[in-house]
Amino acid sequence: MEKVREFNDTILQNEQKMKIAKEGSILSKRGRGAKILFGIIFVVFLLYAISLLLPFVFLITNSLKGSLEYLEDSIAGKTMEMPDKWLFTNYIDAFQEMKMVNSRGQYVYLPAMLLNSVWYSIVCVFCGVAASTLTAYCLAKYRFKLRGVLYGIAIFSMTIPIIGSSGAAFKLMYELGIYNSPILPFLTNFGGFGFNFLILYGFFSNISWSYAEAVFIDGGGHGTVFFKIMLPQAWPPMLTLAIMAWIGAWNDYMTCLLYLPDYPTLASGLYRIKQSITRGGNYPQYFAGLVISIIPVVAIFIAFSDTIMQNFTVGGLKG
Amino acid sequence: MENDKTLLTAPAPKPKHTAKKRKETLFLICMLALPVLQWLVFWLYVNFSSIMLAFQDQRTGEFTFTNFAMFWDSLISPYGEIRIALKNTLIYFCTSLFVIMPIALVISYFLYKRVIFYKGFRVIFYLPAIISGVAMVAVFTNFIDPTGPLGTIVKLFGGEIPPEGLLGRPTTATWTIVAYCIWTGFCGNILLFSGAMARVPIDVLESAKLEGISPTRELLSIVFPLIWPTVSTQIIFVFTGLFTSSGPILLFTNGNNDTTTISFWIFSQVYGNGAVGGSGSYNLVSATGLCFTVVGVPIILFVRWLMEKIPAVEY
Repeated sequence: MEKVREFNDTILQNEQKMKIAKEGSILSKRGRGAKILFGIIFVVFLLYAISLLLPFVFLITNSLKGSLEYLEDSIAGKTMEMPDKWLFTNYIDAFQEMKMVNSRGQYVYLPAMLLNSVWYSIVCVFCGVAASTLTAYCLAKYRFKLRGVLYGIAIFSMTIPIIGSSGAAFKLMYELGIYNSPILPFLTNFGGFGFNFLILYGFFSNISWSYAEAVFIDGGGHGTVFFKIMLPQAWPPMLTLAIMAWIGAWNDYMTCLLYLPDYPTLASGLYRIKQSITRGGNYPQYFAGLVISIIPVVAIFIAFSDTIMQNFTVGGLKG
Repeated sequence: MENDKTLLTAPAPKPKHTAKKRKETLFLICMLALPVLQWLVFWLYVNFSSIMLAFQDQRTGEFTFTNFAMFWDSLISPYGEIRIALKNTLIYFCTSLFVIMPIALVISYFLYKRVIFYKGFRVIFYLPAIISGVAMVAVFTNFIDPTGPLGTIVKLFGGEIPPEGLLGRPTTATWTIVAYCIWTGFCGNILLFSGAMARVPIDVLESAKLEGISPTRELLSIVFPLIWPTVSTQIIFVFTGLFTSSGPILLFTNGNNDTTTISFWIFSQVYGNGAVGGSGSYNLVSATGLCFTVVGVPIILFVRWLMEKIPAVEY
């Protein structure tokens, strides 16, 4: 029995390899004219890629300069040049000295902003993905009276733009007492509809209900089906959505500026610090702060880039 | 078809109130209560409240059309802020639809066709989506500074960037931000188009290749029709943002030099000068938003109808 399974696996693997090889041959082999075109495209892509990587070079090199050196370099148009002396201490100084003043007149330093970024992004991801999973699962797998209405709401909310409601939203949050409070992201992110809903709805719709029937026969309930059968299968798309939501929340500066002014994240805090820097101010330290703020996202992206790309490649968006 | 549905979803509830059905109902209530409540409060109530605010006087709270009159004045006045905001918003919208999306489609095609180093390019091209706008704008601003690298390059060719910089002049400020949006704007589209292209049946391309098809013909006549559902969805999404299209105005100019857009104008009206509690002038914001919503909804519905009219290829 074991040998038969191994034999079948080998056949499947060989078929897969042949399919990949065929794909590679069709997508990569080209005639002379096409080769020239692809050569030109490669050069264009390379230049564009360099332009996207240059900001990192700029940030890192200038974050290691002295403030006077940076000022001189910027006047002389030499900001892309290497530092005379590599001042790694800028990073320590950024952690110890960079600060902004909150509405209570207290200083908020970079480590506190980092901490705010961590909790804020985790809350946004957890609430956003959890709520979408709950609604997507129920609407995809159960037939109940309000199902059509809720699905209609999901599509309506996504495709019909209501503009200018931020004033009313701001007023509501102020009246509820959640404005400038850490409770705010819990409540505002627990929305079950939107892009995440659509992706997860499509995913759950394609999982067979036979698994659930088997659980019911064994005496399990709806909760067991959801938590022990469906949820583990949904991890790949949920992980992809969670990573993308985390990156979005980490970089989100406008929501925090507007609703959480006393809990600045790295993104909103660095924006406010930038507003207070005058020409000739300590820009290298500010750049060091920016580098610190992008390290976690870059690390997460490097770790999960295959997951993001593959899941979008496999799933895509249903039109 | 019906058999497929019964396999994929729970059976339709029976008319009798059995214990099994009660358990299912209880489970659904537990699962959906919080997300539905959240939608009722933070979407339905907020939008209803926004419509009410549009018809209320800011100080007295009495029913009035003053907010709409103020909106109209700002829209028709040659120097009205909303007029400038609308013009700029439409520039960003057209850029998204007619520049960013087509270029992203072409980039995705060449990545799909495995141009040299395509895996690396795919990751690098996605970088603007993961880096904070605060960091990207800081670098871009320094790059286009008269004394920055762009200034040096322009000088080499005998030109000169104005001393106040490209962002310091109303004639160049918006276009500079548009250039930034194009530079950083392909990532999301590339991800979605690449995903759609990966599902194109390889046999179709193989037959086309045997016929000696050119890359342009392959993209326009084979790949594009096959990924049309994704493209049309993206077009609908771009139209959904018709009046909210914008660049990172706050980070670049804070709305100065005629760079404001509708969404930034709304943000700045609510945010005020950054003081806790915001500006408090929500009524004009709501009236403006309501007017653009009333104009935008039929356009989006028409575009959706139009997109559905174009048949998608089944494969």
